[in-house]
Formats: sequence, C-alpha cells, structure tokens
Amino acid sequence: MDPRTDEPRITVAGLVLRFAIVALTLATAYIHSTLGGLLFTLNATGYVVAAAAMVVPLGIAIRYRWFIRAGLIGYALTTIIGWAIQGPYYSTAYLAKGIEAALILFVVVDFLRADGNPVTVVKRELAQIAAAVRSRRTGAEAA
Amino acid sequence: MQRLAASLALAAATLVLAACSSSAPTPADPTTAPSTSAGNGDAPIVIARDLAFTTTELEVPAGQEFSLVFDNQEGPPHNVAIYTDESASQQVFVGEIFSGPATRTYSVPALAPGSYFFRCDVHPSMQGTVVAQ
Repeated sequence: MDPRTDEPRITVAGLVLRFAIVALTLATAYIHSTLGGLLFTLNATGYVVAAAAMVVPLGIAIRYRWFIRAGLIGYALTTIIGWAIQGPYYSTAYLAKGIEAALILFVVVDFLRADGNPVTVVKRELAQIAAAVRSRRTGAEAA
Repeated sequence: MQRLAASLALAAATLVLAACSSSAPTPADPTTAPSTSAGNGDAPIVIARDLAFTTTELEVPAGQEFSLVFDNQEGPPHNVAIYTDESASQQVFVGEIFSGPATRTYSVPALAPGSYFFRCDVHPSMQGTVVAQ
C-alpha cells in the first residue's frame, strides 16, 4: 500500500489491467454514443465518466477507487440487464454486451487485487464512518 | 427464417439501389399522408430521420406478401418491426437493424386484414401504424 493514497503501488500487471478496463469502458461508451437518443447518450456519458474516474490522479478518487470500481460493475450489470429485458438483439448489441461482460470480469479482478474482499472493504468503510461520526459528536459536546 | 428474410432484403436492396441510385424517394408530405409507393413498384416506404419515422401510417395489401422499403437517412441504427399491437409482445415481422444512411427492402409476410403497430426496436419511441386491407 502507498501510505499517502491508500492504494496499492501500481505494478505492470495492474497497469495493463487498468488500461484494459479504460479501453473496454471507452469502447462500450463509443458504441452507445453512436446509437442516438437520450438514453444511449446518457449511458455513454456515464461510461466516459467512469473511465475517467478509474484513472484520474485526484486524492478523493484514489481514496474511493473501490467505490468507483463497485459502481462501474453495477453500472455495466444494469446496462446488460436492461438490454436483456428490452433488447434490441442484433450484432452491435451482442458486441457491446460482450465488451461489458469482459469489463465486469476485469473490474472484479482489479477490485480483488486492489481492495481485497469486498465485505472487508465495506466493513472498514463503515467503521471509518462510525469513527468520524463519534469524533464529530465528541467535538460538538466538548464545544 | 429471419436470416433468409434478411438475405432476401439485402439482395433486393442491392438491386433497388443499383436501379434507383440517382433518384432517392421523397414523399410529398410523409408526416400526414399514408405511405404508398416510392420508386420500388408499389412498395410502401418508411423513412427514418431525426430519430423519428417521417411516415407513421402505412397502408398495405392484406393477405399477400409485400415489399417494404426502409430508408434510414441517419447514422444511428434503426429497423421496422411490426407487432400485433402497441404492447409489442407479439411479433409479426422484424426487419434487419442497420445504420444509415442506407436503404433496405424488407419482404414482409402476408398480413390478415386489420391494424398493426410498427416501431424501431432500437428506439421504441419511433412508431406508427400499419393498416392491412
């Protein structure tokens, strides 16, 4: 872990994985951007934002990268489920869903490498929130 | 069956494009008038433009297979799919989805007399009515 950022030091494998995630995210964003209509455009925009959030070197993004990963997994899953219900079923859609399935797989691997067990991550975050609340309450009482 | 229909539509579209490449069909007022023929015999034509069908009412012969010319005049992919009603739960015909600008001629199987619903499967807000009579 890098003590300044709470994020594992980047290895070559990690770099390749991150690059693949960004490439897949931008690929599905591009496909959705070509479909026209508000829904597809918003979907594409969401993917672009997620791709940026996966690599942006801002402290807050690095601190909460686990949440961004989880969000990207949920976003891609929602997109796939929405398509499975609504369609349309044709070649470009199958390609986009294949990309999204691979994206989910890669992000899961990235999550496990970078953050470890998701349950542990959530417990840790909840403990930190509880500690912050306690600290604020103690401060308010002292004042 | 769908592949066969798509292949036939592709072959027909190629022939139509080769024959009519210099004269793109332009109905006089496609938003109000039911579509009739447009450069491909008596085949009705549907045009997709600005994420909408310019033709929202089609009159087709009942009880016989007919050709339907679909002119996608923009980049996003569209198709024409015919359903029994607006719930779009029961398909009657599903045309190939393709990006434009391009034209395809669909071979639509015979419809029993009555009113049907058509839409673009990619953009379900693009819709209209087919009347077979």
